[in-house]
Amino acid sequence: MIARCLAGTLLGFPLAALLLALLLHLLPGHGEAFLIPALILFFPLWTAFMAGAYMFRNGLRAWLVMGGANAVVFGALWLLRLPG
Amino acid sequence: MKAATLRTFQTVHTWTGLLAGFALFVAFYAGALTVFHDDIAAWQNPPWRAAADAEVSLDTLMERLLAQHPDVRDDFGIILPRDGSHAAYAYWEAKDGTRFATASQMEAPRTEAAENELADFVYALHDSLGLPVIGLYLMGIVSVLYGLALLSGILIHLPQLAKDFFAMRVGRNLKRLWQDAHNAIGVISLPFHVIFAVTGALFCLFTITLVSLNTIAFDGKLFDAFARATATTPTVTASGTPATMLTTDALIERARAEAMKSGVTTFEPDYMHFVHYGDRNAVAEVRGLSQHTLGSYGTVAMSAHDGRVLGTYVGDRYSLNGISYASLFGLHFGSFGGRTVQWLYFILGLGGAFLFYSGNLLWIESRRKRRHLDQPRKTWVMARATVGVCIGSCLAISGAFVATWVAERLGVDAGVPQRAACYGLFLGACAYACLRPVARATVELLWATAALTSAMAIVDLAVNASAMLHDGSPLTWRVIGVDLTGIALGIVFALFARAAARRARTGDANSVWALRAASPSATGSGLSQ
Repeated sequence: MIARCLAGTLLGFPLAALLLALLLHLLPGHGEAFLIPALILFFPLWTAFMAGAYMFRNGLRAWLVMGGANAVVFGALWLLRLPG
Repeated sequence: MKAATLRTFQTVHTWTGLLAGFALFVAFYAGALTVFHDDIAAWQNPPWRAAADAEVSLDTLMERLLAQHPDVRDDFGIILPRDGSHAAYAYWEAKDGTRFATASQMEAPRTEAAENELADFVYALHDSLGLPVIGLYLMGIVSVLYGLALLSGILIHLPQLAKDFFAMRVGRNLKRLWQDAHNAIGVISLPFHVIFAVTGALFCLFTITLVSLNTIAFDGKLFDAFARATATTPTVTASGTPATMLTTDALIERARAEAMKSGVTTFEPDYMHFVHYGDRNAVAEVRGLSQHTLGSYGTVAMSAHDGRVLGTYVGDRYSLNGISYASLFGLHFGSFGGRTVQWLYFILGLGGAFLFYSGNLLWIESRRKRRHLDQPRKTWVMARATVGVCIGSCLAISGAFVATWVAERLGVDAGVPQRAACYGLFLGACAYACLRPVARATVELLWATAALTSAMAIVDLAVNASAMLHDGSPLTWRVIGVDLTGIALGIVFALFARAAARRARTGDANSVWALRAASPSATGSGLSQ
């Protein structure tokens, strides 16, 4: 329980941030016109990850999957930013 | 969903509720009152007892500001009075922090926005429990926990929601009645709670969040992007050529005319901002409240020299970013729909406070030993904490009203008395709930709150009756409204007191709320009589 709670809280925070950054990056003009709606989505998204983490069978799986998701989204964002 | 997952969410709901519930109770009770911020301000300073400097004009205030502090002309703001009985004040950034001053305070400006305003103190209780700096972060964490409690609550109740939603099983099983009331209020006001969990977290944790997101995901570009998305002040450089400035009245009139062209029906200015005042390129911004629109606070930026409009962020001339940003405030403060929405927010706010109170009662009820006279220690502790904190904060806020009223009549600054009364009564109520048998403490604290709240309102009505008759302005109606609401709240507290007393006398004896089971020992180990 505690491990899943920490996974959701600690890894959910960057995951929500990275997903929103990725979404904005893919929108026209790097999503400048949608910045505030995206920021408003941040807390609901983080909370959803916190709650979602309890769906995992155990803490280890939660850490592995959410950690992996963080790495994938971060990687995608990094690649997209390379040319620009 | 699997039963095990459901149980996990039940645990999450319980723990987040327990951790955040007490702070949320205070935030919701004080928040419900904060909806009527301006009415409480009018109650403290009615037209016949106007605040100091209330009659000083805006232009005089500006003259004194610039004469005393000429270096602020590059950037300063003026908070317009909320009614004719209050004073406008200027604010600016000094080297060591923000300064605030009305016309007569220019020589010794304040470091706090409002020192003796009851309405602002109630607001501070709402957003930070009245604690400086740390309180705001604390309430931010509480908002996040609240969001999680909300989400887990929905997940638990979703399966049987359709079936049980309209069921109110009034009967011998008190736990089920509390559960039904808790669920019904939770579901009916769900959109309202979603708004508060999201905007509450944003308002309280805004700076930290922006800094973290900037580092984690936005490559250091978030601050500039955010500034661009929310900017209303056009960037200008001073020309160095002095020029005449329009009067504040002229600027306000021009802003209002411009705002009304943007699809809004009202525009009540509440704030002005000046950049490079006295220069040919000076900018003046006027912010105003518009009703019946989502972006309730709009801004018009003009040249302060000739009144040319430089930017309009009102009504249908908002960008998507602008309207999202403005609607955060409108939705949180219920400022978008006049009196009807204010009353709705007031009632939903009180309902929210009841939601957290009933959550604690449910926790106690579900841990009750039905066949034993003595109850577990943790339910005693929870009962004492719930009574002390929840009823105690209602009593404390009424105490702040009384202290403000007395201080104003004695001609003393109300800032310290209102805080002393509020925190003193709160701590006193907590101590009382710890020492007294809990069933008695509940009833007595409820009666005390009922008596203090309604007595305050009745005395104010009686003392001011002749002034109210003479004045008869819309402001007077606001004062009467606050007093009548106080009387109504007093009656509600009295009804709660009577119900609690009845349960203590005739309810199930195997409960922390029963008089017969009330433990004589302070720790509440639960040995009867």
